[in-house]
Amino acid sequence: MKKKMLSILLCLTMAAGVMTGCGGGSKNSGSQTASNQQAADGQTASNDQASNQASSDQPSSSTSAETVVIWDYFETDAQKNMMQDLINGFNESQDKYEATHVYVPFADYEKQLTLGMASGELPDLVILDGCGMASFIEMDLFGDVSSANIQWDEYMEGPMASTMADGKHYGIPFATNCTALFYNKDIFDAAGMAYPDENTTWEEFREMAKALTKDGVTGFGNAATGTDEGTFQCLQWLYTAGGDYQNIGAGIDAYKLMQEMVAEGSWSKDCVNWTQSDANNNFVARNLAMQQNGPWQIPGIEKDAPNLNYGVTVLPKKDASSGQATSILGGENMGAVKQDNMDGAIAFLEYYNRTDVMVECMKQYGSFPPKTEAAQDSYWTDDPIQKAFITQLDTSIPRGPSASWPAYSDAIQTGFQEVMISAKTPEKAAEDTQAAVDKVKAAEK
Amino acid sequence: MNKKNHLSVKTGFLFALPAVVYMLVFVGYPMIQNFILSVKNVDVYTFADASKQEFVGLKNYLELFDGEDSILLTAISNTLIFTVMSIFFQFFIGFGLALLFNKKFKGSSFFRGVTMISWLLPVTVAGLLFKFMFASKGGIINQLFMSLHLIDAPLEWLLEPKLAMIAIVVANIWIGIPFNMMLLITGLTTIPEEIYESSKLDGASKLQTLFLITIPMIKPAIMSVLTLGFVYTFKVFDLVWVMTKGGPINATELVSTYAYKLSFDQFQFSKGSAAANILFLILFVVGIFYIKLINDEEEVM
Repeated sequence: MKKKMLSILLCLTMAAGVMTGCGGGSKNSGSQTASNQQAADGQTASNDQASNQASSDQPSSSTSAETVVIWDYFETDAQKNMMQDLINGFNESQDKYEATHVYVPFADYEKQLTLGMASGELPDLVILDGCGMASFIEMDLFGDVSSANIQWDEYMEGPMASTMADGKHYGIPFATNCTALFYNKDIFDAAGMAYPDENTTWEEFREMAKALTKDGVTGFGNAATGTDEGTFQCLQWLYTAGGDYQNIGAGIDAYKLMQEMVAEGSWSKDCVNWTQSDANNNFVARNLAMQQNGPWQIPGIEKDAPNLNYGVTVLPKKDASSGQATSILGGENMGAVKQDNMDGAIAFLEYYNRTDVMVECMKQYGSFPPKTEAAQDSYWTDDPIQKAFITQLDTSIPRGPSASWPAYSDAIQTGFQEVMISAKTPEKAAEDTQAAVDKVKAAEK
Repeated sequence: MNKKNHLSVKTGFLFALPAVVYMLVFVGYPMIQNFILSVKNVDVYTFADASKQEFVGLKNYLELFDGEDSILLTAISNTLIFTVMSIFFQFFIGFGLALLFNKKFKGSSFFRGVTMISWLLPVTVAGLLFKFMFASKGGIINQLFMSLHLIDAPLEWLLEPKLAMIAIVVANIWIGIPFNMMLLITGLTTIPEEIYESSKLDGASKLQTLFLITIPMIKPAIMSVLTLGFVYTFKVFDLVWVMTKGGPINATELVSTYAYKLSFDQFQFSKGSAAANILFLILFVVGIFYIKLINDEEEVM
């Protein structure tokens, strides 16, 4: 009897060990959030001290300033400096609020936000990937800021839509960008071929990639990893072919192009495991003659490979009679976390809304300001590489927006991977992906 | 039942009490919460509004198993393949090394210590190392195979579904060998030297000694290595997440990675916890088997 009881107890202990594997996963990270938060608090405190010292001539500000905490996932030096300059600028512009920011790793970002909602440990403002915002609005993370003193109609339509739901504003777009076609001029010159331009069609693009695939160089590569990062780059091919995220069959030509080019070896099969940095690293290392990527890679290329002789143009169009290729909008939004007093968050949004502030930030950041007019700054329009992205932005569309976007993205990217590794024919992949997408659509509310 | 016996039962429960309290708070509560979550409909649309959250019974479980393209079924079979393959090789290699390092020779304790490195290395680091080693272009494994003329063209290790499974199994075997080896060495040291001496006098061959003395004597250690190995291999997450994220196209999707994706990528919290519970259930059965085994051993002794 005693033995039985003991064995039951032991059994539970075993089960305990097991649970730390699955359910416990969230518990672990819960404590991580807590320690992050502590670190954040520590940082806030020390920042406060620093700023108190700095502004000791104005005792009124140091005692009454309310803190505004911002979460971001910025990793490069340029991005970190941009963020610090932005925060310093805000703190100097007024003395009612004191802004600070906390770094949360990108890989953990959405998980930490989800756990933050469960535990209540949240910042005042969150800078997050634009296509993830709809899900978090639905989960009630963000509060309505429609009353802020912001000219909403100055913003570009696509990025703006991703910050809204049911006609209400939950934040503002922070940065906007899209992907375009990078090409290595030296490789083209050596082969005696003309550079791709805005008139290049899929067929010509395929011929170029095929002709350039030799001597260890692959014609083209992009990021097709099995996450939303892959969807971000692959989805444009489907749109350019005539499909959209709910209508896969109409874009089947994209599947065919991908499968054939990968089979020819002119579209790197390794892409299936590549992130955007992987694609860029291979382009910089001259393993790729052409890559699909975004403007945020430019500061890195200038720093690591100043001698790389490259150009950028819009993505190839379907055929001679069709218009400019579609690209997918990327970039970040800044959302205001729902709480009783959102004045501090709104004050920061209003500060960032100032065109001069936004333009200055985006120059450092390597993306474009999400206001139509601000993007026309000569800093971008005078530079042929930046200009290509501005042109591409004209025909860029957002992902979704849908609170179910992560599920859509998963279904869609599976389809692209299936055709790239030839696990299925384009027809079969289109049929299966359509079925998976329909399932997501049916569950969408 | 006399009074003395009765008292000792009471004291027994008293000793177990702290453990029971600990288990109830830190294991029982999350487990029950997790179960409740799995029979509700919490997802991105109902997360914020508790009034929309309702009990849906076993709907989440049924949906996970539904259809011929059920990812969960793929994940379970992948997890089984991954676990059995890993344990098979880990055990035999670990056993071989244990027999080797149980012999006293010059440097044996040094080399035994060195083999522990793969166990000490953080799994994410090991995962990254193997990811680089298995890269189809420039990966050291392809280079090695090419220079040995085992293959003519580089293999696409992490891109072909079957090869990707082999790659994560190889990485996991490498990580798990020292664990098997150490437990088996501990078992081996419990065998008294006299038994070997007398068997030698009786004229037993090396093979006879191994199969008739060594293995039966460390059977309890072998059984715990196998069951514990099963449990911790079945719930591997970090290694696969770093190397393949369950891809390409779910070819290396394990129940653990699938549950994570459902909860934290797609915000289908209820479905994610249902998948985690299925993982738990499978291991619970293995756990009961393990307890029974230990109890049987105790009775024999």
